[in-house]
Order: sequence, then C-alpha cells, then structure tokens
Amino acid sequence: MTRGTSGTTVAQNNSAAAGSYKESLSKWGDAWERFWFTPRRPHLLCVMRIATGVMLLYCHLVLAGSLLKFIGPNGWISNEMAQQLHDGAFGNRDWARSYLWRIDSPGLLYAHHGFTLFVTAAMAVGLLTRITVPLTLFLQLMYLHRLTGALFGLDQIVTYITMYLAVAPCGAKYSLDAIIRTRLGDRIETSRRLAWLFPDSTASVAANICTRLLQLHLCVIYLFGGLSKARGETWWNGLAVWYAVSNYEYQSINMTWLSRYPAIISALSNVTLFWEVFYCALVWPRVTRPVVLAIAVMVHGGIAMFLGMITFGSMMIVANAIFLSPDLLLRRDELEEDEEQAAEVQLADDEALVASEVELDRQLQNPDLSADERDKLKQKKQRIREAAERINRRYQALKQREAKYEARVKKLRQREAKIKDLVEKRRARKGKSSDSDS
Amino acid sequence: MVHDRMPSPAAKPSILSKRRRLIISGLLLFHLLAVALPPLAFQTTTVDGPSPLIDVLIRPFRGYGEFLHLNRGYAFFAPDPGPSHLFQAALTQPDQSISEQLYPDLKQQWPRLLYHRHFMLAEFLHASYWPPGPPDDMFETDRAAAELWQQRRARYEFIRQSLVDHLQHENGGRHVALRRIEHGLPSLSNYQAEPIELSDERLYRILLDQPVFSDQIAPVPVEDAEQVSTEVIPVPQTDSAAEESQ
Repeated sequence: MTRGTSGTTVAQNNSAAAGSYKESLSKWGDAWERFWFTPRRPHLLCVMRIATGVMLLYCHLVLAGSLLKFIGPNGWISNEMAQQLHDGAFGNRDWARSYLWRIDSPGLLYAHHGFTLFVTAAMAVGLLTRITVPLTLFLQLMYLHRLTGALFGLDQIVTYITMYLAVAPCGAKYSLDAIIRTRLGDRIETSRRLAWLFPDSTASVAANICTRLLQLHLCVIYLFGGLSKARGETWWNGLAVWYAVSNYEYQSINMTWLSRYPAIISALSNVTLFWEVFYCALVWPRVTRPVVLAIAVMVHGGIAMFLGMITFGSMMIVANAIFLSPDLLLRRDELEEDEEQAAEVQLADDEALVASEVELDRQLQNPDLSADERDKLKQKKQRIREAAERINRRYQALKQREAKYEARVKKLRQREAKIKDLVEKRRARKGKSSDSDS
Repeated sequence: MVHDRMPSPAAKPSILSKRRRLIISGLLLFHLLAVALPPLAFQTTTVDGPSPLIDVLIRPFRGYGEFLHLNRGYAFFAPDPGPSHLFQAALTQPDQSISEQLYPDLKQQWPRLLYHRHFMLAEFLHASYWPPGPPDDMFETDRAAAELWQQRRARYEFIRQSLVDHLQHENGGRHVALRRIEHGLPSLSNYQAEPIELSDERLYRILLDQPVFSDQIAPVPVEDAEQVSTEVIPVPQTDSAAEESQ
C-alpha cells in the first residue's frame, strides 16, 4: 500500500517535472518568436543607413586618391599576391575571393571605382535602397578581399552594418525612396513590386531581424574583445591604457600627461576590460543599458579623439545606437498608432483568456485534482482576472477617449455654427448697405 | 529615454507563417554560429594548433564566414597593447645617394584613414614575418613542421617582395631595400622618471632577419647601422652615411 502510494507520488512528480520542462521549452520558443519575429519600425535603421553610407563613401573617396597603390596590379600588395594570399598558394585556401584580383587595366579600375562611389552615394541618400544597399555590400566585400593587409576595425564594422541593413527596409525614411513613394501615390497600393522597391515605414519583421542580428553581433564582438584582453596582463594591472596612449603611431592628441595620474589609467583599463566582457549581458536590461551605452560612447569617443581612429570610433558609436528604441525617432501620430495596435493585440489576447474562464471553473470543480494542479489552475484564474481588469481599464480608456472626441466634435460644431452665424450677419449687413446705396 | 522594448506579448504578432518562421530561424541560427565560431576558433588556437572540437564545428561555416569577412578574432589592443611595427624603405637615387622613407608617415599620408591603411600594411608585414629556416635536421625529425616553416617563410618573403616591387614601380625601377622597425613603448615608471618624446630614437629598434637557432644566429647588432645584419637586402643608410661612403 505504502509502496503503491509512493509509486504514484513519484509518477506524479515525474509527470510534473516533464510538464514543467515542456512548459519551459514552450516559454523559450515563445521568447524566440517574440525576439525575432515581432515587427519593428525601421526609423533607426534608416538613420544608420545614412551614417554608414556616408562613412563608406568617405572610405572609397580616400581610396580613390591612391587607387592604383592599393588595388592596382602593382599595388602595395599586387594583384597576384592578393590572390595568392587566398587561393592556397601559402597553405590557406579560403573563400575571400575578389574579381578585383583579375583587373589589371587602370582605366577599368577607375571606372569600377566610379561605379562604386555612385552606388555608395545612392545608399547614403536612400535611392533604390533595396538594390543599392545589397550592391554596396557586395562591392565592399570585393574591396575587402582585395585590400588584404591594409584593413582594420573600421572595415569590419561598416561591412557588418551594411550586411544587416541589406535585409531591412532601410530606405523607408529620410531617403529619396520615401519621396518617390509619396509621389507614386496610389500606384504603390496596386503594385507589389513597387511596394517592395519603395518600402513604407510601418513595422516589419525584416527591420527587427536586422536590428537583432546587429545587436547580437556587437555582443559577440565585445565578448571576444574582452576575453582576448583578459588573457593579457596589462588590462588587469591597469597599464593597458598607458600603452595605448603612449603609442606614437596611434596618437592624435598627446595624452601622456595621464602618467601623472596612474590611478586613472588603471581605472580606465579595468573599466574597459569589465565593460567589454559583460557588455553582452548588461546591454539588455533597461536598468543597465544606459550605463553600458554611455561607456561605449566614452570608450569609442576616446579612441576617435585620442587614438587617431575617428572613423572607427564614430562607426562603433553608430553601431551601438542599434540598442536605442526606434520610438525616439517616431512622430507623435506614429507613436499613437503603434500604441493603439499594441493595445488591440493585448485586448484580443485578454478576451481569449477571459473566454476560457468558464472551462477553468469547471475544471476546478473536479475533486480528483492534485494540490499541484489546483495551484496551477488557481494561478491561471488569477491571470484571467488580471486580464479582465486590463479589459476593463481599456474599456474605460476608450470610453474616456470617446467622451473626449464627442466633446471635441461638439466644440467644432459650435464653432462652425458661430462662423456660419457671422458669415450670415456679414452678408445681411452687406445686403442692407447695398440697398441703402441704391 | 533609452528603452528598447523586449517585445511584449502585447506587441503586434508576427505576420509570417509558421513554416517561414522555421526556415528563417534555421538561417538565423546558421548565421549566428558563423558569427560566433570564428572568434572562438581564434581564442582556442594555440601553438599546438586549433582546438580539435572547434575546428570540426567551424567547418560548415568557414566558407560563408570567409566570404562575408566574419572570420575575425576581434582582439583589438589584445591581449596587451604592444609596440608599433613600421618599415623603412631605402631608395637608391640616380646619383647613387640613398633616400629613406618611413611607413607610415603622417606627413606623407593624409587623411588619417590613408595613413592608417599604410600603418596596417606595416603591421601586416610584421605579423607575416617568419624567420629563415628551417634547420636541415628538422626535415628528418618533423617533416610536416619543416614544410610549414618553409611555407610561412615563403609567404613573408613574397609579401615583402610585393612591397619592394611596388616601391620600385613607383620610383622608376630604382633599387629599393626594406627593413622592419619596431617602435617600442616607454614603460609608465620609466616615463614618470624621465619623460621623453614618444618619437625619441631610443624607442626604435631594427628587427633583424635571422635564424632562430643558436648556431645560425646573426651577429649581435652594434651601434653602427651599417654593420647590422638585417634582411638579405642592404641596410638603408642615412644621407650623411651615404655621403661618407662615397
């Protein structure tokens, strides 16, 4: 008897454990869905498109001044050498291929570069972004694989941002595409191709996926940047920042006066180390995010101003902006529209939940329920009550809004009546004066 | 004002079908692994070679990562910020005098981005360096290691030759010689004791190109630069030294 009871308890516990595992798995699945597939407004990405496009354009313009020195057949790294570095001639065969290895004609190289400048400028101003952004990425990759040996962090970050922007409707705002879309008027509604080519600024899954990918990529960059630093000694003993500022080749502003304040040098080194390692965890909670982003601005601002890498530093700050909410850039009506939509969805969920209350009550009447199951059902009932309260609040809010609208309409009608009255009086006055004149 | 919402259940639901979401989820996972595995491979590679586990895991993602420039380690100023590496080119002029040019040089390369590209080239040359060798007996004891050595040395020599060829092409086919230079950093304590200019000549060091085994070590560098054994090419001379030799 005892054995039978304990056997039942074990089976119940196992079943409860399996249930809770299944529930956890389901919660993870829901979180994954929400994380990746919740539509998002593209406004922030549109701003990043401008910043990245301008930076890429600047990079290509600088390269244009020394084009043949870097990608010519007799460049610093010759065409043949660049190819050999990737084709396995020295052991490492990789897929970092570029057709630029095969272009020997200076004329063709300049023509290609002119085309690249045009495409990159189109990305910056937002012209045909559905085509020009992926094309900019492709051209950028071709240059990167040709410029082996002359690359640094700037090339990585601009490429990654462009890569993610290529899948997003980043021409929806602040662009020539947005102007063209307005001019096309009703034709956009009837043509799916035109609607894709000139995207609108409504929330989309593509914008969210682009945002999430860049956010996670930044987390990977900082995590491994931090872990690499943690393998050294100077980031721990605090001398790393000294060795960075005393590097003559990097220096743009002399910061060696910091030697008088070793404690500051040490603090800066340690803060940088811990910030990089923990960035991937602390950038997500709302409480810690402002601090993490403020440190990002300080670290990369410092690199931009003092370590001679204004391009790299500023692009890293731009990349970190991906953690800002697009709401910061929305107009009031767009914000209201989003809030209204979110409220509608919440309302639909709540109504479905409340509708299940009758079934829940019936289940609770079952005397065979275990204490654990009863607790769960009670918790569910509690959630239903909360949902019902939200519906009530929503209903009250809608009532208030309706009352406001009615009051506004009443006012407008009163104003309209007044204006009509005034117009009639004026007409009457004019009529009288014309009668008296005649 | 910094408040990116973790989308709540109340947010607008996804408009994609479940099948599409599954396909996209698969692609996203693939991409995320292609992003995260290369720096992990970088961290787990030691003198003994790559981590066997990571080396296997990264295989399906390697080509994709290489093409999209994702195969990076992200080790900026890590593990410790170290000295800069430069190269100095000595050009023999038509009158046989020698002029020298240091790369990178802020006065010659402007804007800063262009300077930085030259700086990275100098660092690339240094990072590619592999000493002459291998010793003959290595082919008997560890043939694979000896061949790898040869391959690395050849890679370095070809890169150096590419830089030399470029300078020759830019300077009408004149004779060019290169040498690598390390610009050291003053330690904090030394700097506090004696603040010196960061461009002080005591901080520069010529990097010799010599075998690593004791029986083949080149002569110890002496003060007179002319006697320093560096690369197989002649050592660049200062203008005054060149005049003296004439």
